[in-house]
Amino acid sequence: MLFNSLDFFVFLPIVYLAYWIFFRETKQKNVWLLVASYLFYGWWDYRFLSLILISTLVDFIVGRAIYYSGSQQKKRLYLGISIGFNIGILVFFKYFNFFVDSFVASFAFFGFQLESSWMLKVILPVGISFYTFQTLSYSLDIYRRNLEPTNSLISFATFVAFFPQLVAGPIERASRLLPQIVNPRKFLYKQQIEGLRLMLWGLFKKVAIADALAPIVDDIFLNHASYPSSTLVLGALFFGFQIYGDFSGYSDIAIGTAKLFGIELMSNFKFPYFSRNIAEFWRRWHISLSTWFRDYLYIPLGGSKIRRIFVVRNIFVIFLVSGLWHGANWTYVVWGLFHAILFLPLFYLKSNRRYLGTSNVLKSFSNLLSEAPRMICTFSLVTLGWIFFRSETLSDAFCYFERLLLHFSWDSYLHPRGYRMIDYYILLTCFVLFEYGIRKDERNPLGFKYRFLRLVCYLCLLLLIILFYDDGVDRSFIYFQF
Amino acid sequence: MIKLLKRFVIYVLLFFLCLELLVRIFHLHNERPVRFLDDRQVERWMSNQEDYSVVGNRRQNVGHYRINSFGFNSVYDQYDIKDPEKYIALVGDSFIEGFHQDYHRSLGQKIERSLGDSIKVYEFGYAGYDLADQLHLIQAYRDIFKEMDHVVIYMRFTDDLERSEYKHSNRLSLDTPISRLAKHVKSIVYLKDIGLVDPITKSLSRVLSLFAEGSRTRKLSSTPIVKDTYATRIQNFKILVDQYGYDKQKNVLLLDYSLCPNQFLSFLDENKFKSIDFGKDLNDSELPTTLIYDQHWNDNGRQLIAELVAEYVRSTY
Repeated sequence: MLFNSLDFFVFLPIVYLAYWIFFRETKQKNVWLLVASYLFYGWWDYRFLSLILISTLVDFIVGRAIYYSGSQQKKRLYLGISIGFNIGILVFFKYFNFFVDSFVASFAFFGFQLESSWMLKVILPVGISFYTFQTLSYSLDIYRRNLEPTNSLISFATFVAFFPQLVAGPIERASRLLPQIVNPRKFLYKQQIEGLRLMLWGLFKKVAIADALAPIVDDIFLNHASYPSSTLVLGALFFGFQIYGDFSGYSDIAIGTAKLFGIELMSNFKFPYFSRNIAEFWRRWHISLSTWFRDYLYIPLGGSKIRRIFVVRNIFVIFLVSGLWHGANWTYVVWGLFHAILFLPLFYLKSNRRYLGTSNVLKSFSNLLSEAPRMICTFSLVTLGWIFFRSETLSDAFCYFERLLLHFSWDSYLHPRGYRMIDYYILLTCFVLFEYGIRKDERNPLGFKYRFLRLVCYLCLLLLIILFYDDGVDRSFIYFQF
Repeated sequence: MIKLLKRFVIYVLLFFLCLELLVRIFHLHNERPVRFLDDRQVERWMSNQEDYSVVGNRRQNVGHYRINSFGFNSVYDQYDIKDPEKYIALVGDSFIEGFHQDYHRSLGQKIERSLGDSIKVYEFGYAGYDLADQLHLIQAYRDIFKEMDHVVIYMRFTDDLERSEYKHSNRLSLDTPISRLAKHVKSIVYLKDIGLVDPITKSLSRVLSLFAEGSRTRKLSSTPIVKDTYATRIQNFKILVDQYGYDKQKNVLLLDYSLCPNQFLSFLDENKFKSIDFGKDLNDSELPTTLIYDQHWNDNGRQLIAELVAEYVRSTY
């Protein structure tokens, strides 16, 4: 079930009204949420519900076993079972064919032809990378004594399958989300309003930005060999906006929907395109994943408090794994590598923590003038990286770069479906300016002081959603495939 | 919660009010004329309607149409015949009807401009017409068509020969009292046109079909399977021509030869059916010949075809 589908627009009010009207007790609320979440997930393919059920049961049992085991050795063993199981299903469904294919290709490179008869014909379950990481965090937090295991299987199952963030995050920590599920929840008017605002803002980003740009991006990346470099610049730039609109739009709808049920999810995006360096970008882009890797991979590897050479190793490991997490394709690995290379100079110059904790609030116009070139530079580098991310294969990506950098020519671009391109340029300019204006608070983007201004904003966003709605595009979210 | 729901409902109403205003102010909606079936069983537009045909969310294509007193989109209000002028009738579907362009820049007007003042082109285009509709129209209004010096019939071999007998279409059922009422709410017309209402109607029909499953299965099983082959289409052409009559001297088919099989072209040739091929000229054109957003001929496409028709008419003098 997609957030931007009619099914969801019917499903959500039913679940929401029943949740607040009929179910008074927290336990009842959780059972209702669990049923709704399984229905939400089963809408795609009910067979994969069994995967979530097994994953839930394994981590529920293992979590308790870790906590109540006497010896450290046993705790490690149980943690190993949890990691092995979760990573195992991830590898099986997502990476097995990739590894076999890469193995065969590397042998072929040295002249040995191997039969690739081990390839599996399996469908990638939606959101597998998200919920496996979420359940893993539960076992890891218990192992680290950051969390006590829950006694309620229903609460734990609701934590794993909570429908707003089940298929594309934010990847929640058990220590943050589970207590909210276990404890009673109150209907707070302010929270509900904020939730609805976030949903509207997310829907706008998804429909009017991401979906509207999708046909242009698809066309340019598919036919990149026949387009002039000016069009390729446009393709990369538009993909940057498309993926941001798509994923941050999803996250906003997810956070907003969770708010409707009295639950606060973590922020996943904090206006990343206004970052002043790559390190800041990664503190603002897909925050739930980057902090997950930081807490459960980077720090256990020694973080930055070890010899420099090992820190460099850790930086590369975290970026490469992050790239691979996105998909079983070398393009994602190279994308991760590209970001590691961009990050490294910052680490050596000790600028990687430069904007740590500072919100992107510029106090004066002169401040803006000095910060703007850094933002533009960071945005340009990130945009170049998106070419690897969006290309089907590495050779496509290199071909794209070659035409972009070595064969510079300019020509106007015509929309593949005949829409006026000027509409998109105006829309994106307004979007950037608006985002810049609201950058202080990503959790309440439309919370203006004046009611009239808020009303105008709501109406404008809804009208823009309709004006840029494209009947012919695939409306699923890009991150569902991860 | 009541407060929240109240506010939500107010905002939804406000939104629809604003949408209605926006759609009306910028004329984002497509204004379809009203259709009817006349006493000679010909489907036409109701006379004297004038408005704009709009395509796309943001007015990607706009055409000004004017339905004349006879019920077709044309600059001429009536089909008066005066000697010594020559008259050409242009019969066809939406390509001839021309809602995708302003009516004074239609194919007929371009042919007139190519041929000079002494020739008038009367257009009889109606979206969805196939050869059965066209020949039925010519037969039903033979009093008008007999006065014409040439009758150019636009036909697509791939679409317009699917039946061998004229029966009025189910297009008329689109004009239900509810749809006529809904036409007054421009935001509904607009949302329907851009495809936002489709998921709702599809879901509703899916639910309704669950109740009507049994009866539908029976209906489907009794429907004969029609073989969509070249031979069937050629056979349909023969039957239609025999049944409704066809003046081989006056009538000329406007065809895209690239869509026609050799079998059909040979048949036309052997039986002395005149035809004009516009496919080659359109394919050879360096400039685009169709609209970007719309499949219909653009200004360049219509100009090329107008020149071909004009050339044909000149060759008959």
